Amino acid sequence: MKDTPLSNCERQFLLKAVEEKKRVDGRQTYDYRNIKITFGTEYGCCIVDLGKTRILAQVSCELVPPKDSRPTEGILFFNLELSPMASPAFELGRQSELLVKLNRQLERCLRNSKCIDTESLCVISGEKVWQIRVDVHVLNHDGNLMDAASIAAIAALSHFRRPEVAIQGRDITVFTPEERDPIPLSIYHMPICVSFAFFQQGTYLLVDPCEREERVMDGLLVIAMNKHREICSIQSSGGIMLLKEQVLRCSKIASVKVSEITELINKALDNDKRARKEGGKFGFAESMPKERITALKKDEAPVEMTDVQDTANEIISRTEAQPDIVKVPSPVVPAPGTGQVGEGLLNTWGLEEEEDEEEEQHEKEEMSTGEVMVLSDSEEDDVVILNPDANKPKRLEGGSKKGVEAPKKQKTSH
Amino acid sequence: MAGVELLSDQGYRLDGRKASELRKVQARMGVFAQADGSAYIEQGNTKALAVVYGPHEVRGSRSRTMHDRAVINCQYSMATFSTAERKRRPHGDRKSSEMSLHLKQTFEAAVLTQLYPRSQIDIYVKILQSDGGNYSACVNAATLALVDAGIPMRDYVCACTAGFVEDTPLADLCHAEESGGGTTLALALLPRSRHIALVQMDARLHQDHLDMLMEAAAEACRGLSKVLDGVVRQHLQEVSVLTRD
Amino acid sequence: MAADMRLPTAGEQISSSSLSLLDGKHLVVPGDVITSDTGFMRGHGTYMDEEKLTASVAGEVERVNKLICVRPLKTRFNGEVGDVVVGRITEVQQKRWKVETNSRLDSVLLLSSVNLPGGELRRRSAEDELSMRDYLQEGDLISAEVQSVFADGALSLHTRSLKYGKLGQGVLVLVSPSLVKRQKTHFHNLPCGASIILGSNGYIWLYPTPGQQDEEAGGYYTSMEPVPLSDREVISRLRNCLLVLAAHKILLYDTSVLYCFESSLSHQIKDILKPEVMDEIVMKTRQRLMEQEG
Repeated sequence: MKDTPLSNCERQFLLKAVEEKKRVDGRQTYDYRNIKITFGTEYGCCIVDLGKTRILAQVSCELVPPKDSRPTEGILFFNLELSPMASPAFELGRQSELLVKLNRQLERCLRNSKCIDTESLCVISGEKVWQIRVDVHVLNHDGNLMDAASIAAIAALSHFRRPEVAIQGRDITVFTPEERDPIPLSIYHMPICVSFAFFQQGTYLLVDPCEREERVMDGLLVIAMNKHREICSIQSSGGIMLLKEQVLRCSKIASVKVSEITELINKALDNDKRARKEGGKFGFAESMPKERITALKKDEAPVEMTDVQDTANEIISRTEAQPDIVKVPSPVVPAPGTGQVGEGLLNTWGLEEEEDEEEEQHEKEEMSTGEVMVLSDSEEDDVVILNPDANKPKRLEGGSKKGVEAPKKQKTSH
Repeated sequence: MAGVELLSDQGYRLDGRKASELRKVQARMGVFAQADGSAYIEQGNTKALAVVYGPHEVRGSRSRTMHDRAVINCQYSMATFSTAERKRRPHGDRKSSEMSLHLKQTFEAAVLTQLYPRSQIDIYVKILQSDGGNYSACVNAATLALVDAGIPMRDYVCACTAGFVEDTPLADLCHAEESGGGTTLALALLPRSRHIALVQMDARLHQDHLDMLMEAAAEACRGLSKVLDGVVRQHLQEVSVLTRD
Repeated sequence: MAADMRLPTAGEQISSSSLSLLDGKHLVVPGDVITSDTGFMRGHGTYMDEEKLTASVAGEVERVNKLICVRPLKTRFNGEVGDVVVGRITEVQQKRWKVETNSRLDSVLLLSSVNLPGGELRRRSAEDELSMRDYLQEGDLISAEVQSVFADGALSLHTRSLKYGKLGQGVLVLVSPSLVKRQKTHFHNLPCGASIILGSNGYIWLYPTPGQQDEEAGGYYTSMEPVPLSDREVISRLRNCLLVLAAHKILLYDTSVLYCFESSLSHQIKDILKPEVMDEIVMKTRQRLMEQEG
């Protein structure tokens, strides 16, 4: 099925919004959407949510003979798939331009930057090496697949453990995880892609474009960097005219974003590690039963901000009245081994362009933040919510919607 | 790259060039009579052939027709004998598809496609011998072919690669320098306006060096543009002399 | 068996004397600024870049009063109303044929702008629409005239004259459209015994001179009678002469073709395209053309 084309008025609306430095989902120009990283029960499985974009990465390994040209190096293989499940525009079994682009960019970002020590994957030189295969599946497409895929891939690789082997002469014994603890891959650095969308011949720039914005953009610049401020790959596409200064500026923005995201990945990895060590519940096993499909998108409900003070007071009073009941800020219970960032409007990545409006928001956010930080008395100590103001009231674009939908709270008894 | 010194203490590279020196460029326009435009280019040992057909009616799937501009269709292929190891498929693998895509995007930026609504411009490029800088050789050859075909462009598109070794940017990498796994930046530039039509970089480079590397690549592109300019003017004069009556 | 072997010769270098011929010409390449004076009008082959008139193609600058154009050396056919073209039918559609004419888009030949057998003023009925393929089908060659040009540059053709219509037996030669000189008439019965249609789109049709016009067929009847050997030889020689002229970028019109034909008579037909013979023929032709021009 071909993608339904965007209507002219939608296109104009989006472009106009970009010109006025506004975005349909209320973000600032340089804001990312919420990133949530969840790990599976098995090693090397990771789901990344970037707003509504959702990507699953799974790492697997097998022993194969090495390439003739590199007899002492293990093989890294990336495969990204766009299933029709993610978007009706994707067709199965066809090498679309997008697919080629994403696959190559992923390879370029992770393989060519040598982020993984491939020589340590050699078992017997010239005969057996580990082939690490990273399968990336797009589960839901809401723009910026590249960034989400790169986060998912590197997080999955960092999470992955390969079985230990013993060599006796020419015999190779592969130990099961029960016999000997599997060993992690040696990762030198974590390259992460940051996408910049350009509009109006490069006049306007947005970070992390959503699907709508991607459709009206002129071109894209993807910069992959690690937290050491090293650029691992740059790729422009889409027939735009850039100037050198723009590329340099983007690389500066990218370095800020990358350090934030790297921190988030590390935090998520730590949480997962701790959960596993303590023998608690971890992985999807924990998160799945609570992720009710009906409740999944509730936290996105736009709420008018006019009488936010009243609402906040009401909530506070309720919270104080029932201190014994654990309140979770979102119907989606983030599982252990989960990191979350940037929930809501809060611009945690303050960049050079601080606006007055933003400060206002901060004040309001502080109000509503205070009372939802209520996770501590739960037995799941390791839940990390960097900005737990998930259902902080959001301003509607037009402000036409009357009536207040109170932030939904859910009781959870443990 | 283990063991091989890409830049000697005296400041010379593997093939005896200075850091900012380009390889010898030779080019010819109008090599085929059948095509609307064609060109052949040699950049050192990298040899490329480009052929342009069009603008013409959209063939194949009609659905690609655009009512406000021309569709650019690119196909990149490498001759099976172009590399040391014989290639099995001349085109169609991931790298070639990506290269076709990049060429397409490069020329969508430079060609005034809005002048030819509902039509199609085909650009076919073939690498006859590969010795590094395939993308740039293809872009330069295709530019000449487009000029030969009389297709309006904003400016020449010149492409060149640049590498980075020991804090020194190297212009126009050859295969040995490219395969070492060091930083490689490919840049397609419109030299007059200094607009970048495509930028692509591989392997690690510290952010602070990016400016220097891009400037080196841009400088190399401008050098190349002078060579291409000479080729086009020479061709123009030759043909004009013949059609003097 | 004797084989014909030849060594490639280096391409002729343009001498400084011939360069002086270019003095009056203003040659530009894409991106060259033609003028930064805002008093000029932007023509084909140019664009405005920050208030400066810039060339977008490589070629010669032409000025007509305030209008500045750049004419590229080689380009696809830009049709104008009244041009004679030779084309090939690529598609039969509702009430129209699509014709490939070396243009940027396929040209259109409407059913209403052709002469159907049985008189010029016949009404076009539904049967005519159904039997369009009987008149012209895919692959047929036609000669036609440009009736109008659409906004997107596509041409609309007509064949409402007995001299236009379907082409029968003959030879098609393709050259660059810029080599065909625009003249009063593009149909010539050459004295050497063959006829030529010099299509402005660079498609040139050589055919044996017809005996008498068959009025009733309305241009859709093609004689399949064998053409005598002498005629075929003349046509083959003309075809090679056209290629020689095109290779040396000499404008094609009846006189140049005829002179070239006559200059080639001392050689066998198959030898005409050998480079040294080509040079000789071209030199003779050029000389005669110059003498004729005075």
